[in-house]
Amino acid sequence: VSLTLTYFPVRGRAEVIRVMLKDQGAEFDEKVITMEMWKESTLKASCVSNPLFGQLPIFEDGDLTLYQTNAIRRHLARKLGLYGKDQREAALIDMMDEAIQDLLNKYIKLMFEKDDSGKEGYLKALPTDLKPFEKTLSGDKGSFLVGDKISLADYALVILLIHHQVLSPPCLHAFPSLQSYLKRLCARPNLHAYFHSDDFKNRPIIPGKRT
Amino acid sequence: MATTGVRGTVRKIDSIVQKSTTTRINSVSPSRMFLEYHRRLIYVCLALHSSNNFAMGPYTITYFGVRGRCGAMRIMMADQGQEWKEIVVDFADWMKGDLKATCVFGQLPKLEDGGFALYQSNAILRHLGRNHDAYGKDGKEAALIDMMCDGVEDLRLKYVKMIYQEYDTGKDVYIKDLPNHLDKFEAVMAKNKTGFLVGDKPSFADYSLFEVLLNHLVLCSSCLDTFPSLKSFVEKMSARPKIKTFLDSEAYKKLPINGNGKQ
Repeated sequence: VSLTLTYFPVRGRAEVIRVMLKDQGAEFDEKVITMEMWKESTLKASCVSNPLFGQLPIFEDGDLTLYQTNAIRRHLARKLGLYGKDQREAALIDMMDEAIQDLLNKYIKLMFEKDDSGKEGYLKALPTDLKPFEKTLSGDKGSFLVGDKISLADYALVILLIHHQVLSPPCLHAFPSLQSYLKRLCARPNLHAYFHSDDFKNRPIIPGKRT
Repeated sequence: MATTGVRGTVRKIDSIVQKSTTTRINSVSPSRMFLEYHRRLIYVCLALHSSNNFAMGPYTITYFGVRGRCGAMRIMMADQGQEWKEIVVDFADWMKGDLKATCVFGQLPKLEDGGFALYQSNAILRHLGRNHDAYGKDGKEAALIDMMCDGVEDLRLKYVKMIYQEYDTGKDVYIKDLPNHLDKFEAVMAKNKTGFLVGDKPSFADYSLFEVLLNHLVLCSSCLDTFPSLKSFVEKMSARPKIKTFLDSEAYKKLPINGNGKQ
């Protein structure tokens, strides 16, 4: 069954999908849409009318076409066994993921601001957002956010932490559990290979801007 | 020695079975009673094992005295015939920080399902979806339901931003722009033809959409006039007996939609 991701040539919202698939060794095709192609309205219009939300990424799994990054991620998580071992773990994974999305939305808002004026306030507030994850990971199990296997939520957190270290290299200094978590996950063979690849390194976080 | 859960139940039934084989009761033969208890034992075990649902009540919601991010889950629980307890948090008490410190992300709502505590409103909706068979009949429907719920969440975020940050200056623009967001849901609803977003029964995405549309009708009573499928969806959901009872209740009517009194 073929998997195809359609997105801009950036990390953006789709990177977490790439990271999950790469780590799991799942092959997928990529269709790259440049901003010029996007503005030329046919593809955007077809997203709107068919059925949905006029946005990218689009993900195709055989004859199933999905929009909405998080719906795509959940679908892949169910397919690849990355959604916990039971219903309780699934609920906790959802909870962790929602909180990660909240932080991600703040980060994206900052990235798209016209200047750097919001950065200081953002970095001041960041420890409050990171603390719950530090606390979760400093429990006696602590290897993943939920349970003893990597999940949907871990992939989201890993890429978010990597991007925050780009934004502000010392941002994890006060969070030893997050540091060791990040180190551990980045040492996974497929992720290590992917994060060191030109494919990943040359793809900007967002279009154009400073990282 | 287990006395609770499946193992405990099996032990208790086992002990009844053992007693029944050694005593003649009311002239029913022991072997007949033995078989009867075993039959019931098997049914109980099947019922316990086949239920894929974790926890399943009693439910308690801890939240402020508003509909807010609990609106959809309350309507869902009502429609699913569930009773729940409400712990209402006074905002001034919340600002003192004691309860906030116990919440994983320092936020409400909190749902307790038996002894299991869960935060994040959309995680709660998904959990209820799993508990009450409201997450589609297969993986494909589940994915489409996720997609719809995420679309509703996008709309909800825009609504909340307008209500709390831009009501006086931004309300008119918001209402004018609204059709550009509702048209997608209209298209999906019209295409599916069942009266639900996905499949042929309500999912957590339907409850979330229904609730957000109710709030939008308060904002602008004519906002669904050009969207017949959505209008019919709201009418049909409102007419479902348990939802109707809930929407007519004091418990529902007394709560403001939003925390700042705007709507």
